[in-house]
Amino acid sequence: MAEVTVGGLRFHVQRLGPEVGVPVVFLHGLIMDNLSSWFFTAAPKVAAHQPVLLYDLRGHGKSERPTAGYSVEDMVGDLGGILDESLPPDQSVELVGNSFGGLLALAFALARPERVRGLCLVDGQVHDEAFGPEMVSSLGLEGRERDEMIARSFKAWLGRHSERKRNRLARNASELVHGTSLVQDLAHSAPPSTQELERLSCPVLALYGEHSDVRERGENLAARLPNAQLEIVEGCTHSLLWEQTAQLEQRVLSWVGRESGPGGKD
Amino acid sequence: MSDTLQTVGRMIQEVIGDDWDLDQPITLETSFGDDLELESIEFVSLAEALKVEYGDEVDFVGWLSTKELDEIIQLKVGDVVEFIDLCRSSN
Repeated sequence: MAEVTVGGLRFHVQRLGPEVGVPVVFLHGLIMDNLSSWFFTAAPKVAAHQPVLLYDLRGHGKSERPTAGYSVEDMVGDLGGILDESLPPDQSVELVGNSFGGLLALAFALARPERVRGLCLVDGQVHDEAFGPEMVSSLGLEGRERDEMIARSFKAWLGRHSERKRNRLARNASELVHGTSLVQDLAHSAPPSTQELERLSCPVLALYGEHSDVRERGENLAARLPNAQLEIVEGCTHSLLWEQTAQLEQRVLSWVGRESGPGGKD
Repeated sequence: MSDTLQTVGRMIQEVIGDDWDLDQPITLETSFGDDLELESIEFVSLAEALKVEYGDEVDFVGWLSTKELDEIIQLKVGDVVEFIDLCRSSN
């Protein structure tokens, strides 16, 4: 397994595509997700043109699972460390994040703007004041309610009805939620201020599903960012990566391959 | 059984590891999803194992880039074996 060690933690990393060009880093969602959701959708398409880097967030997929250290700040540090280990120090990247991956992409761009050439948020979660309490109420569930939540968020694409897999994923999710401080750490992470958001100069493509429960907050976020382009994907919910996969892949491909504007840095 | 099928079968067993509980032998008709119940992250490991085994000779990720998600979900072991043999015969 390809690994990068950052801060003593082992991260499962996959690098695809050519050596030369603007690297595109894909970020996956929370709990039930891992790098495979990008590996089998947009990542190979993008890798036909540009270098691609994918990794499993701490506690997810095949990356190491510490019991603590799951704040947004911790995960921003992980991403910075992985980039520092994998790319030249002056190389800026395109970040593409799905759901929580979008929240993380934005947080990273605010913390390390010199490293980011552009952002693509795919129904990105929005880190506002409501985010923490929502995390606790949705992920702090117990028993049958929790199992139902896991079943709802079950978006595995291979053998969707497999009992073995459903049980393993549910067990894995439960261990992450109950065996680590993830929920509390995220709930206590401070959201970015309006001033910080207004200073973000890189271009942002914000894609939201027409019927997504995050859409309104996503629209508010896009309105605050000075260089954001909002696009609503018709007929989709929060799961637009799975509902309009081909369309989304094409949009991501054209976004990350766009020409830099005047003063843009490759 | 072709050498390639044998190689891919071995890789699949290694990827699934301790969870391996398949009674039937792996054939060209075995599907990754319905029969093997391979998790998507396990399929990533299989892609990595192919890279280690065949190097640049077999561009599995390039092959995936030509496929729609629904096609990937339906993949059978025979599709991967056929692709590997095609790459190797053209080199």
